[in-house]
Amino acid sequence: MSIEVKNLTKKFNKKTVIKDISFKVNSGEILAIVGFSGSGKSTVLKLICGLIEKDSGIIKTSGDIAMVFQYSALIDSLNVEDNIAFALKERKDLRKKYTNEEIKQIVKEKLNLVGLSGIENKFPSELSGGMQKRVSFARAIVTSPNIILYDEPTAGLDPVSSTLIEDYIVRLKEETNAASIVVTHQMSTIMRTADKIIMLYNGDVVFTGTPQDLMKQDTPYTKQFVTASLDGPMKMLQG
Amino acid sequence: MRDFSLKSTITYKLYRQLIILFDDFLSTIGDTVIYGKDVLKFIFKRDFNMPALLEQCSRFGVSSLPITLSIVGMTAIIVSMQVAGEMVKQGAGNYVGMLVAILIIREAGIIMSGFAIISMIGSSIASEIATMRVTEQIDAIQVLKVNPIRYLFVPRVLSGTLMMPPVLVIASLVGIIGGGVAAHLASGLSYRAYFESVWSGIYMKDMNVALLKAIVFGFTIALISCVCGYNANGGARGVGIATTKAVVWSFVAIVLWDLVFSIIFFF
Repeated sequence: MSIEVKNLTKKFNKKTVIKDISFKVNSGEILAIVGFSGSGKSTVLKLICGLIEKDSGIIKTSGDIAMVFQYSALIDSLNVEDNIAFALKERKDLRKKYTNEEIKQIVKEKLNLVGLSGIENKFPSELSGGMQKRVSFARAIVTSPNIILYDEPTAGLDPVSSTLIEDYIVRLKEETNAASIVVTHQMSTIMRTADKIIMLYNGDVVFTGTPQDLMKQDTPYTKQFVTASLDGPMKMLQG
Repeated sequence: MRDFSLKSTITYKLYRQLIILFDDFLSTIGDTVIYGKDVLKFIFKRDFNMPALLEQCSRFGVSSLPITLSIVGMTAIIVSMQVAGEMVKQGAGNYVGMLVAILIIREAGIIMSGFAIISMIGSSIASEIATMRVTEQIDAIQVLKVNPIRYLFVPRVLSGTLMMPPVLVIASLVGIIGGGVAAHLASGLSYRAYFESVWSGIYMKDMNVALLKAIVFGFTIALISCVCGYNANGGARGVGIATTKAVVWSFVAIVLWDLVFSIIFFF
């Protein structure tokens, strides 16, 4: 078991944004957390990787956690090589483990893995959105994590770049056997990457199943989500 | 209908604004103390990234020098031009250099350097770190299990502490020389008379206190700027607010420090 979440609850200013949710993700498995904007999807990821504190519940994780951020979050003052090697150079338990030559080699390998090479000296501002996202993938896997979290990995990308990113998510799962969670609301990402799905609405889990179950549209929530309808139990404007 | 309630009065709004400001200042000072302890821990353990420190020293020292020299130099020139003519007329020309030296070394040099560095370096540190905060770069650093205090704060705060004294020394020298040139041009006071007077106005205690102030001011400006940037939230507006806070609270902090130094050493 790589990630186990039990009865997780989080409030912001007395408003409960995550309500008693539970799920498990095994090694080599991808869970997609789906739902409309503001449903609490990204909050779950931030709770798992410790960026925000939970109010109650249990989060059990095994091994290193890496996260790919919605807008890549590459450090803009560092070039691609230094971004990917950041943890190897700056993390307390890793910074004396590798020589500069070894670090260069690791960076090269990770860049090749995400289909990029020869861009080590470029800065994030010189890269397209899709390339930045792939560099952030390379940065995430540089420490060989057991858990990879993706926050809207295809947001803002064109359809072809999205397909490329979705392929890399599956490829990284196969190469690293990591447990992965993908937060998304794009159907293509869900269908191409997920082994199982949970749907959040107002912090509650309103659907659990596989992508095939989602496509059956046999609950009002899945029907509204798949058909992108305004009519249904999920109201877009929540106070 | 006009609103005559207490909450609509200017006095109430003014008090409310003051309370908000005071609360914000106290919370910034509280955070500064908390993060300052961590920064000092890393510095005393000599656990910092040397290339990053050198880069920040260049930014703090070299980049800020032209504006600091201009401001301190101008201040000395203005004071010298305004008092030299009058003092020479009154037969006190021999004291012009002493007056300028005491003014620059005890007060104007360090305060003007501080203001220049806050405007130029403090604001840039705060906006840089605030931008990193709102674009999730600091979140990424944390997820990668790198200590953001060690990575972001330590090189900036240490460079501020190390570079402020040399900046002050150079700025003070330029100020005193500029004051001499201004006195000569404004009142015909000889350079010899001016610099002999300067020499008699320089005391070792004043120089030591000025250097100590420079160390404390450099540390404070860099730390408050880092803290304000680090605590930023929201988007572009959050970056703007963080930068403003860094500038305002750094100004207030160094003036308060100056008061403390004056009470300790000159009261």
